[in-house]
Amino acid sequence: MYHLLTTFSFPVAPSAINSFAIAVLPRVDSMVAVLYFALFAMSFDFISGYTGYLSFGHAAFYGTGAYAVILIANGKVPLLPAGTPFMVSLLVAAVLAGLLAVVIGLVSFRLSGVYFAMITLGFAQVLYVFVRGWDYVASNPRDGPAVGSTHPEGFEIGIPFVDQLTLAIGTFSGDTVVVLGHELGTYTVSFYMVGLVALVSYFAMQRVIHSPFGRVMIAIRENEERAAAIGYDTFRYKLGAFVISGFFGGVAGALYAGFSRSVTPESTFYFLTTGDALLASIIGGFGTLAGPLYGHLFDHSIREFLSNTGQGGGLLPFLRETLPEGVLTADIVGGLTVEGFIGAALNGHASLYVGIVFVLFVLYVPSGLLGTLRNYLGGSVSERLPAKLWGER
Amino acid sequence: MQLSFGEGLRQFLGPDTLVSVVVEGLAKSAIYVMIASGLTLIFGLMGVLNFAHGSLTMIGAYLAGLVMVTLVGSATGAWTRLALFFVALAAVFVALAFLGGVMEVGLVRQLYDRPPIYQILLTFGLTLVLEELVRIVVLFYGLQPISEWRAALGTRPAILSAEQSIGPLSVRGLALFEIALGAATVLGIWAFLTRTRYGLYIRAGSEDAEMAEALGIDVRRVFTFVFALGAGVAGAAGALLMWDPVWGANVPLAAETLLPAFVVVIIGGLGTFRGTVAGALVVGMADATTTWWFQNVVVTWTWLPEITVFLILVGMLIVKPQGLFGVEEVGGH
Repeated sequence: MYHLLTTFSFPVAPSAINSFAIAVLPRVDSMVAVLYFALFAMSFDFISGYTGYLSFGHAAFYGTGAYAVILIANGKVPLLPAGTPFMVSLLVAAVLAGLLAVVIGLVSFRLSGVYFAMITLGFAQVLYVFVRGWDYVASNPRDGPAVGSTHPEGFEIGIPFVDQLTLAIGTFSGDTVVVLGHELGTYTVSFYMVGLVALVSYFAMQRVIHSPFGRVMIAIRENEERAAAIGYDTFRYKLGAFVISGFFGGVAGALYAGFSRSVTPESTFYFLTTGDALLASIIGGFGTLAGPLYGHLFDHSIREFLSNTGQGGGLLPFLRETLPEGVLTADIVGGLTVEGFIGAALNGHASLYVGIVFVLFVLYVPSGLLGTLRNYLGGSVSERLPAKLWGER
Repeated sequence: MQLSFGEGLRQFLGPDTLVSVVVEGLAKSAIYVMIASGLTLIFGLMGVLNFAHGSLTMIGAYLAGLVMVTLVGSATGAWTRLALFFVALAAVFVALAFLGGVMEVGLVRQLYDRPPIYQILLTFGLTLVLEELVRIVVLFYGLQPISEWRAALGTRPAILSAEQSIGPLSVRGLALFEIALGAATVLGIWAFLTRTRYGLYIRAGSEDAEMAEALGIDVRRVFTFVFALGAGVAGAAGALLMWDPVWGANVPLAAETLLPAFVVVIIGGLGTFRGTVAGALVVGMADATTTWWFQNVVVTWTWLPEITVFLILVGMLIVKPQGLFGVEEVGGH
C-alpha cells in the first residue's frame, strides 16, 4: 500500500512521513492477499451474516476453488487442457464450489444453529483430511499442490483470447505496465486485476442482497418461522444463498491460487481459514457485505504491523530505529532489557493482539466497524456521509 | 506385516486381537470422555459452545508438565511419581477452574442475552489469545511449541511406559491407567450430578433455567460454578494427555482436542452427560478399529483413521441430528 502512496501521493515525501508510512501501512504484495481473502470473508458473511446460519466449514469452498485452478493448470482435470485460460478455469472452479455447496447444503440445512455450524465444519474437515492424503493432487499432498511446468506463464485476468485486454497476475509471472511514465510492478498490476474480480463479485453479491431474494435472507435471520409462515419456502432460499456464497468462495480461492501459484491444505481447507474469515466479518461488521473487506484489512494491518521482523514495515523495526539506545538497553526486571521484551512480545505474536481486538469487538462493538459507522450515520455511508458533513438533507 | 483383507478380517476377529483392540478403544474412549465432558457440562446448562475448551486442555497439559518436571527427579520411584501425578492433577484442576471462573465472570457473562453465535465468537477469540500467550511463554523458556515436551513425557513411571501382561494378553500400561482415570472421571461427575445438591441445581438449571431461578436457585452462581468445573475437567484431561506420547504437551494440542471433543459431544447429543459417555465410547472404538486395520492390513486410504471421527459426525447428523441421547430443544437452539 505504501508503494502506491509513495509513488502517487508523495513522490518526494519527507523521510519522516515515509518511514512512518512504511511502518504503519501494509505492503502492496500483502494488499493482493487482502483483496482475495476479503472476497472469501464476504462470501462467508453473505451466508452467515445475512441468513444467520454460521457456515463454519466455509473453507471447503475456498479450498475447492484453489485446488481446481491448480489441478486444471497441471492438466489433471479431464476435458480441460493445461492451457485453459484463467478466466475459464476460475469460472469452472467457482461452479464446482457451488455444486459442492448444493451437496453440503442439502444435508446441512435440515439442521440449524450450533448443529448447522458443526456439520458444515465436519464436511470441511473430511475434505481437509482427504486432500491432505490424496496423492493425485500433488506428489506430496501434505504440502499441497503447485503449478507445474505445464503452465509456466502467469494466470491472466481479463477477457480470454484477447491479448490486449488481459493482464497476468503473480509475483514473478505477472505483467508490468507503464502508465504515465510510472512503471507499475507485478504486485501493483496483480492488485488492480485481483481487485477487479473482487469488485465485480462484490457488486454481484450486493445486487443479490438488495433484491427481493436478499430480503427473504434477512427475514430468515430475523425470524425464520415467520418467513415460512408468510409462505416462503425457506429451505430453498437458504440453499440458494448457500450456493451463491459457495460460488464466490470458490472465486476467492481461485484468485488465491492464481496469484500465489501454490497452495497448502492448511491455508485452504483447514477450519482456521474459516476462522480468519470469521474474524474479518466480526471486526468489519457482521451482516454488512463490505464490512469483511475493512475487517480483514484491519486484521491484516495489525498482523503486519506487529509481526514484521526486518524488511520494511512493522512496529518492531520502527521502534528499534526510533527509540534511543539508552531506552533499548535499559533493564526492566532481572536482566530483561526493553529490547529483549519488545522482541519477545512483538515478534511474530500478532495473533495475541488480533485475538484481544476480536474479543473487544465481540463484547463492545458487536456491529463491527462498518455496522457501527452505519448506525451512527443512520444509513449507508455513501448516502448519509455528505449530509452528515455538510448538514444538508 | 501387511495382511490381505480376508486374512486381516480373520485375525481381527480372533480373541487376542479383538481384546487388545477393545482395550485400546476403551483407552481412547477414556481420553475422549475426559476432553469432552467439560464441554458438555457447560453447553448443557448455559447453551455456550466453549471454543476455548481445547486451549484450556492445552494449558492444563503444560501446567501439569511443569509441576511434574519440577517435582520429579531421576531417582523418584514409580509410586511416588504416580502420587505426584495426582498432586499435579489436583493443582491443574484448581488452577484451570479458577481461570474458567474468571472467564465466566469477566467475559462470558456479558453475552447471555445476545444470540448464541456471540458466545462461539467470544470463546473463539479467547483461543487465539490463550494459544498465543502460551506460545510466548513456551518460546521464552526455550521449549518447542510444536513438538512434544520430552521432559514432561520423561516423568512417566516405567510401569506405565512398558507393556503389562494380564494372563495371556499384553496391554500398554498407559492404556490401563487412562481407562482407570477416565472411568473415575465419569463416575465422579455422575455422582456429583446425581448425589449432591449442587448437581441437582445444575440438572434443574439445564432443564429450565427460568423455573430454577423462580424456585430460589441463584442460577448466575451456578453458571459460574459449572464454567469453572468444566474448565477444571478440561485441565485434568490435559494432565492425562501430557503423559500420552500420541498427544503430549504442545500448542497444537488445543485444536487437536477441540475438534474430537465437539464430535463426541454432538454424537452423544448436545448437553447430555450420558450421551457424551456413549459418544466417547462409539468414537473411541471406531478410532481403535480403523487404526488397527490401517496398521495391519493393506488399506490404500492412508487418510482413513484421521477421517473416521468426522465421518461418524456427518453420518450421525444425517441420520439423527439431535445425537444419541439428545432432545431437540436443548440449549434453546
